[in-house]
Amino acid sequence: MKDILHIARAHITTALRERITLFWFVVFPVFLLTILSLIFGKVGNEGEISFEISLINQEDSASSGFAFSDVIAGAFHEMSTTVDGALEPLFSLHTLDDATDSDQFLESELTALRRGRRAAVLLIPAGLNQAVVANLLQPDASTALADPVRLQLFMSDSNAASTYASQIIQQVLTEIDRRILVEMGRFDDNQAIASETHWIGGEGEETSYVDFVLPGIILMGFFVNGLFGVPGTILFNRDRKVLRRYWVTPLSVARYLVGFGLGHLTLCAVQFVLLYSLGVFVFGAAIRFASPASIGLLILAATTFMAFGFLIASLAKTANGGMATANILNMPMMFLSGLFFPTSGLPVFMMVIVYLNPVSYLLEGLRHSVGVQNSTLMPALTILLVPIGWILLSSLVTSRRLKWDVER
Amino acid sequence: MKGFRALLVAELRVFSRDRMGMFFTLLFPLVYVLIFGFLMGDIGDVDQAHFGVFFETDAEEVLLRQTIDDTGSMHLLFFDSQANLLTAITDRRIDFGLQWDGVALQFYYDANRIQENFAFEQAARAITTEFNLRRQGVSRSLPVEEVSVGTIQSVGWYNLVLPGILAFTILSAGLFAVSGHLTSMKERNILDRLIVTPMRPMALLSAIVMIRMAIVFFSTLVTLAVGMVVFGLHYDVNWLRYVIFVILATLGTMGMGTVIALLVRRPSSASSLANVLAMVMMFFAGIYFPIEFMPSFLRAVSRGLPLTHMANAMRYVTGVVEMSEGEFWSITFAMLGIAIVLFPVLARYVVRPTRH
Repeated sequence: MKDILHIARAHITTALRERITLFWFVVFPVFLLTILSLIFGKVGNEGEISFEISLINQEDSASSGFAFSDVIAGAFHEMSTTVDGALEPLFSLHTLDDATDSDQFLESELTALRRGRRAAVLLIPAGLNQAVVANLLQPDASTALADPVRLQLFMSDSNAASTYASQIIQQVLTEIDRRILVEMGRFDDNQAIASETHWIGGEGEETSYVDFVLPGIILMGFFVNGLFGVPGTILFNRDRKVLRRYWVTPLSVARYLVGFGLGHLTLCAVQFVLLYSLGVFVFGAAIRFASPASIGLLILAATTFMAFGFLIASLAKTANGGMATANILNMPMMFLSGLFFPTSGLPVFMMVIVYLNPVSYLLEGLRHSVGVQNSTLMPALTILLVPIGWILLSSLVTSRRLKWDVER
Repeated sequence: MKGFRALLVAELRVFSRDRMGMFFTLLFPLVYVLIFGFLMGDIGDVDQAHFGVFFETDAEEVLLRQTIDDTGSMHLLFFDSQANLLTAITDRRIDFGLQWDGVALQFYYDANRIQENFAFEQAARAITTEFNLRRQGVSRSLPVEEVSVGTIQSVGWYNLVLPGILAFTILSAGLFAVSGHLTSMKERNILDRLIVTPMRPMALLSAIVMIRMAIVFFSTLVTLAVGMVVFGLHYDVNWLRYVIFVILATLGTMGMGTVIALLVRRPSSASSLANVLAMVMMFFAGIYFPIEFMPSFLRAVSRGLPLTHMANAMRYVTGVVEMSEGEFWSITFAMLGIAIVLFPVLARYVVRPTRH
């Protein structure tokens, strides 16, 4: 037993001493969780994102006698002002100053929009106030709008930030429109049909981003650990003739494997604790992995990826070859599993990879077990059988092909 | 000249025998483009969504149906009970659903589809607003015309992502090309043997750079062509600027790889460090998600990264976004500047015999 524990300790120590292993093992998953939570976890929250937009008001409310244009401009000015001094406003507003010609300013702002420096440009054209009055005087919705003068919202539909900003601006304008209609007695708020939102699963509210992404990041950590850590350690130790020194001792390959596996699972446990603690204490994750199903799946995942690492070690001739194979498989296996993007819309030839990929099954199972997925797309039994199948296949190939010593 | 030609031929042979190098330079960007193209193609596209509707009452059913038809082109599926509607959401047969009971519009979403729910909620809001206006026989008083200023090349988000991937390819290949090859030559003592010949370090460096640069250039062309053929993407490439930018950007990133070659000894370490640097830059450079979504301090980090500017310049030369001439040439010549400053360092401190 002592020899097994020694091997386990040696594996852990070696892994923690390798700076690059440490990066993929700890820094990268932590970095990914942090960056994804910082970016996507707060999208839409006030003070977390900010869009540079331009507002060009060409309407003269004094001469038109109505102030609809001022109401619109006022709303956007308000949304671009920091109220409590702490939060960044939703919009950083660029407006026309007295010295600049309006058409020139519009032209320069549209250029800025095309160049990605503005998320949207809102133009309040001259004559808008009269147009609004004319529209309000229409007898009913079936009549065409009285005046063709419209607010113009310039955006770039290839720029996700612009698309997002224009959707927010449209919402703001819809709300202003509703208030105008109510004020003018054209729309009765009391008669309005309410819209109610219901969330299926997620305890009555939408799952938080960190809860959604955390099981995937933990699995990714285990996966990278198995994919790079196992062949890296085994093959480099073999090529540098470290393993040869073991074999001249009474230590058997089987006992070495038990020790190695123990060390690997301990590393996965450390990785889990680190990532889970970061998720809970820094980003406020609320999911729990305490159920037998979650614990079982985590152990199954760590074992599957370790076995997969041995499979790569068995197929590679040299340590560098093993690492290259791991590098090739890393990205397709991670992305074609649903870790970061839904895989449902993929073409058949890519779905084949998704269905062969053990990460897909383990991810579905783990997300379902912690309650961030209502149902599994894969049949329940396959969530266990496919990873177990990979373990058996990897063990078989390893037992037949893996060379434990360099050729003399 | 003869010696230099021999070096070029030798470098070409070395690369053609390096199957892994070939995979990572030529095939890897293609794998990237194919996977991301298929994965990201429909994200946020509510027109492809499956929308389930259950009419609990037939009051105003016609008006609501008409409103739904007019506000989008989603795939509509009708259900005969609330239970069936909810089960369909749970089983992901539909993306979101609506139950109309004559009193309120009850929208149901899968709480766990957090990447897509934003788009579904937008569609639901549009239906609610329009339905309420139509019920009271009113039209909008504040008509809004949405005008996209992009060119045909910029329609579709993936059009913008692909040039970013090309920039990333240049960066990762450039970072590793020289550093990896030189560390590998050092490890195998090949560099020591070459140094004792009359060959100048700069000649060896030039041969490595020329061969690798030609391969990176070819790789970007193939990747671009695959994106256009497989995903039907449109680009209006300014070939002169494209050639100049790809060459100078590759030179610049190879220069950055100098720093790696100075820091590490083994090729595997050079590869790992280059990989790590490229990966970290990729997340912050606004290639896969907009910089505007980041907190302000990360936006500042992003603006300081070469990859952010390389991706913008690549979008410009492929006709996806506009950029001022001044900005484009500043980025391009900055990359050249990096190469001019760092290559002599590489020649002096890296291409030299190993101390034993």
